[in-house]
Amino acid sequence: MSVLEVRDLTIALPPGGDRREAASRVNFSVERGEIVCLVGESGSGKSVIAQGVMGLLPRGLPVTGGAILLQGEDITRAPQHRLRELRCTRMSMVFQEPMTALNPVMSCGDQLDEVLREHTALAPAARRGKILDIVREVRLPDPDRMIASYPHQLSGGQRQRIMIAMALVLEPALLIADEPTTALDVTTQAQILRLILDLQARHGMGVLFITHDFGVVAEVAHRVAVLRLGELVEFGAKDEVLKRPRHGYTRMLIGSVPALKPQARAAAGEAAPVVLAARSLSKTYRDRSWFAKRRDVPAAADVSFEVRKGQTLGIVGESGSGKSTVARCIVRLIDPSGGAVLLHGTDIAGLRAGALRPLRRKIQIVFQDPYRSLNPRRSVLEAIIEGPRNYGVPRADAVERARRLMELVRMDPESLARYPHQFSGGQRQRICIARALAMEPELLIADEAVSALDVSVQAQVLSLLEEIRERLKLAMLFITHDLRVAAQICDHVAVMSQGRVVEYGPAAQVFGAPRHAYTRALFDAAPGRDFAFGAA
Amino acid sequence: MDLQALSVESANIARRESAWQRVRRNWSVRIGGAAIALLLLVALAAPWLGTVDPTLFDAASRDLRPGQSGEIMTLDGELLKHEFLMGSDSFGRDIHSRVMYGTRVSLLVGIATALLALAFGIVLGLSSGYLRWLDGPLMRVMDGLMAIPAILLAIVLVAMWRASVLTVVLAIAITEIPRVTRLVRSLVLSIREEPYVEAAISLGTPTWRIMFGHILPNCVAPLLVQGTYICAAAILVEAILSFLGVGLPPDIPTWGNIMAEGRVQFMAYPHNLFFPGVFLALTVLAVNILGDGLRDTLDPKMAKRV
Repeated sequence: MSVLEVRDLTIALPPGGDRREAASRVNFSVERGEIVCLVGESGSGKSVIAQGVMGLLPRGLPVTGGAILLQGEDITRAPQHRLRELRCTRMSMVFQEPMTALNPVMSCGDQLDEVLREHTALAPAARRGKILDIVREVRLPDPDRMIASYPHQLSGGQRQRIMIAMALVLEPALLIADEPTTALDVTTQAQILRLILDLQARHGMGVLFITHDFGVVAEVAHRVAVLRLGELVEFGAKDEVLKRPRHGYTRMLIGSVPALKPQARAAAGEAAPVVLAARSLSKTYRDRSWFAKRRDVPAAADVSFEVRKGQTLGIVGESGSGKSTVARCIVRLIDPSGGAVLLHGTDIAGLRAGALRPLRRKIQIVFQDPYRSLNPRRSVLEAIIEGPRNYGVPRADAVERARRLMELVRMDPESLARYPHQFSGGQRQRICIARALAMEPELLIADEAVSALDVSVQAQVLSLLEEIRERLKLAMLFITHDLRVAAQICDHVAVMSQGRVVEYGPAAQVFGAPRHAYTRALFDAAPGRDFAFGAA
Repeated sequence: MDLQALSVESANIARRESAWQRVRRNWSVRIGGAAIALLLLVALAAPWLGTVDPTLFDAASRDLRPGQSGEIMTLDGELLKHEFLMGSDSFGRDIHSRVMYGTRVSLLVGIATALLALAFGIVLGLSSGYLRWLDGPLMRVMDGLMAIPAILLAIVLVAMWRASVLTVVLAIAITEIPRVTRLVRSLVLSIREEPYVEAAISLGTPTWRIMFGHILPNCVAPLLVQGTYICAAAILVEAILSFLGVGLPPDIPTWGNIMAEGRVQFMAYPHNLFFPGVFLALTVLAVNILGDGLRDTLDPKMAKRV
């Protein structure tokens, strides 16, 4: 008998949505000792299915057809008290964001203890023994200290381990992992994935692993189910699906996964003029309050690099590495505390607002979150012409320029009158690119500009950025945590860790023969690095 | 490239209802709005609602019960037959006329106070939220203002100036300004971190235009909600001031004044308090219901928190 069998599952969406069903006649199963990956882009219904399996669907999303069989028992018809019994004992869930999934005012040990108190009749001493065992099993150091800590005292990876411990403490038959590593850095992600694989092999439970990342799929899956807009388009063994995808959508998705090998690029002239150079750039945040001792937090230190016309420099690093701080110093959204930023040889690091103003337009930035990068109360046209109007371009010319730019970013110029909420994430990011280009900049900074996008959209925006750089001979500073993306688009790469550049060189060299230990660790951690997608 | 058509991105984007459409469908907004519209109509049409000049009095028609008829002398010395729908007070004034005309004062004070407090609160809140060097000094002044009980501050302010609609409005508005300032400041502090504001900075948009063009429009919804609450509070405070005898002069018909005069003979003639009291309660209730409806539709996050 399968651990989990989902049969013709249909889950309705509230009326007035963009489609009628969150999941339409979905069929798949999870066997004992197997990891099934549920893959799909945002809005594909993968998380809704996971909630359905846990019996956690909100009232607005009722199951209207089919069945969810957990070891033969239909969950869709089980009453609340039965579901409560089943959760944690037979099925458990690990969520994406461990910081919000854990209660911030309860110690981790108490939260684990709560599970045992609810579901077992063990004495306190036995419960404590069991908790220490499971904490050891998820390989957290110093279990006694761990269970006494509160969630905010732990790192993201440690919190996720606590979540996993909580999910597995009663040895459930089914573990549902909903994007469990998406919020983590790549090196932490690799450790958590390995942990899940180990635990799964040891306990033999079935795992339903939800992810949008094909690298992760290649790393953990036995079988793969691909969802598109609530419909299951393909379900099969990992190698079948990833190497010989049958459905066009799967082929398109897999084709969009960027390769980890740097692309052979037309050698952008090393003789091209340097547009921007950072010299020993540093930024120290100073925590100053009346009574506390002064605390200096270095966010970036001694960062040097240069970007030439027509070239792309990638700054790669994990969260907290200081890569965004560097970008914000260069755009002068924050003031650097030391070093120089040379724009065509002029140091703009210390310029006052007035002197900076004419130079501002030469450096433009595209941000990560397409949903917050556009003022919701301004039309696209107003957003794009705002910059040129600030620099005295007559309105008619600015509008004309906006129409041209919309075509350049492959959008319909007729949609200029619309508001941001009428566009999808990828379209908004195109609008943001158009807005930056309207200033006719010489340096375009993309701060994680494709990180929030689905893989197929990511591929489109990346190729658009490439095309624009080529056509306008822009210098580009591309900031990302994603090595695959960096490999696609960068001529040079600077790897940052803890505020410092640890490796800097041509992309082929950094990717081909990384010298610094940290760079090598990053590469080793990249999920699915050895997997040849779409290659039979 | 045709495979890209399969991308989830090419799926339809749901048409969202605009805020205005949601507001119009909300029953709280409809009921509250209708009641306020009715009251506004009463205020505007007061002279044609079977009323006489509310300052007229006639010793012969003192303490009439609601519905009784009597006579009232105009300023020209002319005797008018008049039906006292809500009775008369101890001076022989028509309570019906006074209540209808009192609607004008109450609504005027409520709306003017809300607008005034919002205007000052917006300017102060935007400045202290966006210009960090102003934040400390400005907010400490606001803290100081908030430390004084609002009604006492209003009494002192009115007592300092000559009581008139303008001074009453000013006095009540001053006590409300710190609250608006705090609200705007907190909104500004979160909105100023939004990437679209940072984008505007890198586009070279001048500071004042970022404040009024990017940040302020995104504060409108919570401010509208706050405005209705200020309006309701101001109507109440004005009535309290009048009732205590420190508000508008007693000859001006306001609900608070009518109630203050009826207070001494409440046991004998409860209608003196009943009618203005009912109008006051209904008005404040209507404004608050409207505010709740606006909050539910415009500011869902806030609605969940409260």
